[in-house]
Amino acid sequence: MIENLIDGPLWYFSLAVFVIGVVWRLGSIIFASRKPDLSVARGAAGPAAVKTVFSRFIPHKEISAQITIPVVAGYMFHLGLFALLFFAAPHVVFLEENLLGFGWTPMPHWAFIIAAQLAFLGLIMLWLRRMVSPVSRLISTWDDHIAAILTFIVMLTGCFALLEGSTGLRLLHRFTVELWLIYFPFSALMHTFTFIPSRAFTGAWFGRRGIDA
Amino acid sequence: MCLALLPLQAFSQDKKPEPGVFMKDPGSELWRQVRQRDVEGVGISQVRGVESGVLINARGDQWARFRMNQLSTYGGIAIAAIFAIVILFYVVRGKIPIEGGLSGKMVRRFTDYERVVHWTLAIVFLFLAITGLILLLGRPLLLPLFGKDIFSLLASASKEGHNLFGPLFLVSLIMMFISFARRNIYERGDMTWLIRGGGLIGEGHASGGFFNMGEKTWYWMVILIGLVIAVSGLILVSPAFGQGRFIMEISHIVHTIGALILMTVSVGHMYLGSIGSEGALEGMKTGYVDINWADAHHDRWGKECHEQNLIISAEEYARLQGQKPETGKMETAEQTK
Repeated sequence: MIENLIDGPLWYFSLAVFVIGVVWRLGSIIFASRKPDLSVARGAAGPAAVKTVFSRFIPHKEISAQITIPVVAGYMFHLGLFALLFFAAPHVVFLEENLLGFGWTPMPHWAFIIAAQLAFLGLIMLWLRRMVSPVSRLISTWDDHIAAILTFIVMLTGCFALLEGSTGLRLLHRFTVELWLIYFPFSALMHTFTFIPSRAFTGAWFGRRGIDA
Repeated sequence: MCLALLPLQAFSQDKKPEPGVFMKDPGSELWRQVRQRDVEGVGISQVRGVESGVLINARGDQWARFRMNQLSTYGGIAIAAIFAIVILFYVVRGKIPIEGGLSGKMVRRFTDYERVVHWTLAIVFLFLAITGLILLLGRPLLLPLFGKDIFSLLASASKEGHNLFGPLFLVSLIMMFISFARRNIYERGDMTWLIRGGGLIGEGHASGGFFNMGEKTWYWMVILIGLVIAVSGLILVSPAFGQGRFIMEISHIVHTIGALILMTVSVGHMYLGSIGSEGALEGMKTGYVDINWADAHHDRWGKECHEQNLIISAEEYARLQGQKPETGKMETAEQTK
């Protein structure tokens, strides 16, 4: 009964909420009305936008010492999660059989383990930094904490189901993934899709004004 | 007709069964001799691999019995006993107050990075402790409680989680060593703390530096026993490196005993760092401690803070923490002047 619900209607419902929600959120940002910029352009907006998208991957020298933990842990978590999501063997098979119709070479088991460990350590340290740093704590909302904890739970249930020998653990993982997909479009998790347009917009805005940022 | 009568005939035969003839299992003697022979049971096999020539590992039974009878039983008793001792201590002694109360004036004790390292190790350790205890004590304690289906899920999840988080413990341990080792080197004056039983013997608090003797000993226990646990855990989780059953069995016993020691002592550490001692948790929570707490528990470090003028006011502390100053605390600070 519950197996049919999680593998069937709840999966399609969560996927629909995720896709429609993400498209709606991105659309509302892209098509939001803005005042025309009447100022005289002092620089080119396009190249500055592209430059900012990439330059923000590296922290500024002036503040790099203060943000070592978020930068290192951030890379560990995001790269680890990306590898898990798209190159873990069970995920590749799932995507091929249920969504895409084609697959690719998954990473070996040892790489899976290392990616998972990097992702876990990175996420724990990022969340702790958010809690212990007064500034980060002040600017954090409930949404940030829920997003971090929910992502952690999804990863944890995934690691519990690693052997793929238990239907119960597989269902638990899939259920948490479905909750995550439903929460995604309405939360800070949307930064997955908004970080590039956000950087580009800031870069273009500064570039037009001749600011090198 | 004859066929139809057969079942009845059989029934009549069942009524008076012939006494069975006891046939000894023809293989049992052979296997008993294989198991009980004096020499190490290594034979020749075409299968290539570690101990592939061993027909029966008789020592494995000893290890399994030790695990099930001694290790689980005494381990469970140790964990239960430490909780009972801590509860009893709290009932008898209560929360140890700061002499003179909270002043509101604060001093920086730990950086953000140090606190992240501490809490990372704490989270990973707690996760491993819980999953490890489920694996060690789950069969006698949880199986009767939850039943086979749920317990098998729990045990399977714990095993996978424990194996995956194990190496993270080693990484956290290395970060802990690098961050705190220098301040945990033993120095003159630490023995006084030990002789005074950490303040339990005699009047007043025992003298201590940035870390007192008890904290330093706990730190080196975590580093050294933690290292033993991590290495033995890696031996257990990576059987592909040629280690035989004997090394695995020894590693398992060392791993479990080491983990049980750290778990029991950590309960005391958690108690003293939180509800057992007023003002202690603030250090790891905010990075700052009350100067009266520093003077009481770490007087030599407190003296340095006074001399180097490192103490900040309640208002400054509240500003750094992004809080509005608490009027009550400020008044207390004024009163203590």
